[in-house]
Amino acid sequence: MNKDMKILVVDDFSTMRRIIKNLLKDLGMTNVTEADDGQTALPILKQGGIDFLVTDWNMPGMTGIDLLKEVRSDPNLASMPVLMVTAEAKKEQIIAAAQAGVNGYVVKPFTAAVLKEKIDKIFERLG
Amino acid sequence: MSGIGQGIGQFEIELQNKAQELVSVLSDGNVSHAMEIIQELHDFRHQVFFSEVGHLTRGLHEALKAFSTELGSSLQVDDEEADKDTDAADRLNYVIEVTEKNAHETMDRVDNALSLVDKLDSQSERFKDLLLLVGQLEKEHDSLSGVYDRTCAVKEESEKTINTLRTELTDIVVSQSYQDITGQLIRRVISLVTNVESHLIGLMEMAAKVEKLSGIESAPSSSQEKDNNKNEVQAEGPQIKKNSPDVVSNQDEVDDLLSSLGF
Repeated sequence: MNKDMKILVVDDFSTMRRIIKNLLKDLGMTNVTEADDGQTALPILKQGGIDFLVTDWNMPGMTGIDLLKEVRSDPNLASMPVLMVTAEAKKEQIIAAAQAGVNGYVVKPFTAAVLKEKIDKIFERLG
Repeated sequence: MSGIGQGIGQFEIELQNKAQELVSVLSDGNVSHAMEIIQELHDFRHQVFFSEVGHLTRGLHEALKAFSTELGSSLQVDDEEADKDTDAADRLNYVIEVTEKNAHETMDRVDNALSLVDKLDSQSERFKDLLLLVGQLEKEHDSLSGVYDRTCAVKEESEKTINTLRTELTDIVVSQSYQDITGQLIRRVISLVTNVESHLIGLMEMAAKVEKLSGIESAPSSSQEKDNNKNEVQAEGPQIKKNSPDVVSNQDEVDDLLSSLGF
């Protein structure tokens, strides 16, 4: 896993963005950009340069699941690894995220170890 | 509007009286009077219905107003900016703002503490250099015998403590996620309150209009909003009933579900 990769963290709560940013820093990844919902995230993604997307689900404007669908339908972004970090805990929601092509799903509240494990797993699979 | 203000109990008594009257009028063969009684019953039923709905509506409206006021006075304590006229939704938004601010303050302190831990770490490195010096001196001075090993043991212990401290501090940062979780729930309550309030106003306006209309026979259809499109999987916020069968209760269940889907 390339520690210099550029990560976009999308969450409407600044508290959560900061928590995720701190945990990524612990993993040695400091190249982090933030957005507070799908609508602001999408133009950043389309600009290019982002290697990994970490997104919440429940956000005003555009939700994380819609953002995920946008990413998968854009040929330039389709292969981007996406980790969903969300309080949405219904089975049908997790299934919907899986069907939309999410690479990992972490339910809030989570521990530092769980987040690390899921990120490692995503990049292990991608090789 | 003689029926307004009377309860359902009164309605039943009146219904029985009118029914008996209707039977006796009909047995006398007075059909036109019978039709009048039926019309009276019809009107009366609507009057009772609207009176009940009106009472409930007003009650709910009062409860919401009281909720805003109470919430206002309980949050007023140490905030001058909070002004008395703001409604329940504003108050609840204020809760989100305050918890967000406090979560960030906590994380600021933890960041400071973490940089102190880094400092301890770098001091530990310098300590290592000094220790090597002691190790060399030990060979030349018998009285220093064993000091190097013992100091090394202390240093190792302190390095472990530093690591534990770092983990604990990181956990404090992670635990600030309560602000996001509670904030999401509060936002849902805000949208519920706002929704109920706007529907209440609609209901009150409708009740007032219907009362004005002469023939009450056209029962107004309720102006319910169409349910959210159920085909789409919607965001629902944090789940409170964790033992519900359609909700996962921890990360392990998420992982199991995903692996059952071939992930």
